[in-house]
Parts: sequence; structure tokens; C-alpha cells
Amino acid sequence: MKLNERSVAHYATCDSPPDKTGFLFKKGERNTAYHRRWFVLKGNMLFYFEERDSREPIGVIVLEGCTVELCESAEEFAFAIKFDCPKARVYKMAAETQAAMESWVKALSRASFDYMRLVVKELERQLEEIQEATGNGNVPGRPKLSRRNHMARSKSGVSSSSSSSSSSLSSTSAFGVPSVPSHSSAQKMSQDEVQLNSGSSKENGVTWSKPPALVNGALDGASSCAAWEGSADSGNNGVKRYAADGVRAPPVPPRRRGASLESPVSPGTGCFSKLHDWYGKEVEDLRVQWLQSQ
Amino acid sequence: MRFNEKELVFLSRQPSEMAAELGMKGHKKGDVIKRRLVKLVVNFLFYFRTDEEEPMGALLLEQCRVDREDRQSFSITFLDEAERKYLFECDSEEQCREWMDSIIKASYEFMRKNLIFYRTEIHRLTGKDPLEQYGISDETRFQVSNGLQMTSGETSSL
Repeated sequence: MKLNERSVAHYATCDSPPDKTGFLFKKGERNTAYHRRWFVLKGNMLFYFEERDSREPIGVIVLEGCTVELCESAEEFAFAIKFDCPKARVYKMAAETQAAMESWVKALSRASFDYMRLVVKELERQLEEIQEATGNGNVPGRPKLSRRNHMARSKSGVSSSSSSSSSSLSSTSAFGVPSVPSHSSAQKMSQDEVQLNSGSSKENGVTWSKPPALVNGALDGASSCAAWEGSADSGNNGVKRYAADGVRAPPVPPRRRGASLESPVSPGTGCFSKLHDWYGKEVEDLRVQWLQSQ
Repeated sequence: MRFNEKELVFLSRQPSEMAAELGMKGHKKGDVIKRRLVKLVVNFLFYFRTDEEEPMGALLLEQCRVDREDRQSFSITFLDEAERKYLFECDSEEQCREWMDSIIKASYEFMRKNLIFYRTEIHRLTGKDPLEQYGISDETRFQVSNGLQMTSGETSSL
């Protein structure tokens, strides 16, 4: 079977950072002695070189679908890379120390594409949940807040101590504190007054620890959310979101909807994966911009 | 360069979301378009002669570029060999778009970039590292690129 070997070898030596490198002993196939080789793990590919400064790898082990086990061996710190397929070769390896062995076993057992995909999907889901919570907090949050303000006012009329504490909270804006203090409901109310982006942290089950400067960012977030609800073809160009330090943040993935392939930003648009297709292209550029400005 | 061919062939038999008969043309000068069964499994693009069980070949999809060639065709070029194009002819514009999309997203490096983005974004919004609960915060594969600092607190684990 052919393989684009030159490009695969290029992947080994190109400047993308490897996931792990180090010397390991590898048992030969025909020559059953252990040979010391320089190993480079990138993604789901384990390359091995004759020397640390060799230009080209001698070979590569595609790790997809493998399991890594400790094994009985005359060699110390030995482990094996095994595959589920019939007549698969077992790659017997040995590290130079116990720590190295454990580190390699851990790294190799998590090297599969499928594992990475799982973690990405999970974070994608989490981010979506958070965004939806923000979205829910932003638009319907406003009428709720006015109800709360009303309640706060009526409450503060009840006892003078709570009203003074609420006013001091508003002015000092102690929003660095992530958790909402539960001992004084008046305090809670005034925190809500200023935390416009999400209503109360307890409500959404998400802890907000943003400093007051972020309120502007949050308001921008609110308006951009409204823009999505409103216009189908604003794309991402008209929408600005700002992070804590006023830097333009990458676009927020819109909510899940039905399944169509129209403008990615319109609520009538696609299942999340379709939106993500479009969004994914933007991610890289915007992320670079954003990181450069940190 | 040696590679574990048996295991790779076994991988080519795994279920895939993207598998279709497409026209494919290699990068060499004399190559002509032939119908091949093209199958995407993780970050490999396997291609089979239409009546054969074992793949003719595999393309690792890291460090590559996907370009639209015309309405129904796209090409894959590897960054180290920019003059060499693998050409693929689809049956429709829609199919072409789907394949291009899938291939772009099929690289490990692409997934890693997304993960890093989600991780930093979730951390920015919640002050928490989402990987901490799984005990994988320190894995090298999940780290933000070298030398870049996070803005908010609790960044030591990132």
C-alpha cells in the first residue's frame, strides 16, 4: 500500500510542536535486540529516528486503535504498543527510567485521533452551553433585572442596614468575587444590577468572576446577540465582541437550530456542525489575531 | 521510511462517514483520472480500486492544503511539495464542498487548534480550566502555543 511518505516525514520534522520526544529502546523485528532510538510523538503518529539530530525518521508507528500495556520483559521499564488487528505486530519498547516509562505510556495511550475528537466535542458542547446561558441571560435578563431592581428597592425600604450595604456594593463593585454572597439578599440584588451579561450567577449555574471593566464587554456581547437574532446576513463583520481588555474576541458560535445551509449567523441556520464548519475557518485567523494582541 | 502497513490497512476498514467513488488523479505528469473508492478515516484518506478490498494507498492529511479546482473538483496539496497536486472529481458541487470541508477538518492539528480555542474561551468566560475536572490539564497536546500568556488568573495549569 502506498503512503505519502515524504509528506509524512515532513510532518515529523516540521515546526509544529511535538507532543512528546525522547529516547526509547525499541525491539527490532528481525534483529531482536533493543535499539536506542529518538522518538517523536505528534498527534497519532510515533516517529523514530536513528539519532536525535537525524534529518529523516527511520520509521513511523501509526497509533490509531492501539493499546499500550506494561509488559513482562527482561528489560526494565518495558511496555508494549499493541493493535487489535489480526497478525498485528507488537511493538516492544523500553524506557530509561520508571518516570519516563509512565510518561510515555500515558502520552501514547491518549494519542489517538478519536480521543482528541472526544475532548474537542466535549469542550465544544460546554462552550455552547455557556454561550446559550449568556444568550439567555442577556435578552430575557433585562426584564428580570428590572423586576429585581424593584424588589431591591422595596426591600431596602424594610431595613436601613441592608440598603446601605447595597449601595456600598454598587459603588465598590466587588465583582472579583466569584460566588454570590448569600447572607444578604440586598447585596445579591445590587450585584445583579451590574452583572448585566448573565443575570445572577446562581441562576445560570455558572460562576462569573468578571471585573467591572468587563461590563462594557458584556454589553457588547448583548448587542451582538441581538444582532444575530435580528439579521440574517450580518455575517460576523458587523458584530464586535470584546474580551476583558477590550480586544476583539473571536466570534461566538451561534445556537443550535434546525438543519439548513443558509447564512451561518442567522438563527434559521443549520445544525451546529454546519455552523461550526463555517466558524471553524474563522477560528484560526481570529485566534491568531486575538492571541497576538494579548 | 518504514510504517506499520498491516495496522494501517486494518484502519482503512473502519467505518467512515465519508466514503464515495470519486475521480482521482495522482500528481505525476502522466497520471489520468481514474475512478477510485475514496474513504476518510481519522486523518487518513484511503483510496481503493473500486473492486478491491485492500486500499491502493493512503494520504496522511496533516500539513496539507485543500483547494477548489472547479465547480465539482478539489485538490489536495502537501505543504512540503507544493507543485504536487492530488486531484479529485466529484459528482456535484455539493459533494465537492462536503469533501473539502471534511478533509480540512480531518487533521489532528486542526482539532488541536479548536481544542485550544475552546479551552481558552471557556477559561476566559468562567475562570475555570475545563480540562481540570478530567485531570488532563497538563498534557502537552492540550497546551496553548509556546510563550503565550493567558490574561485572567488561574493560568498556571494552562
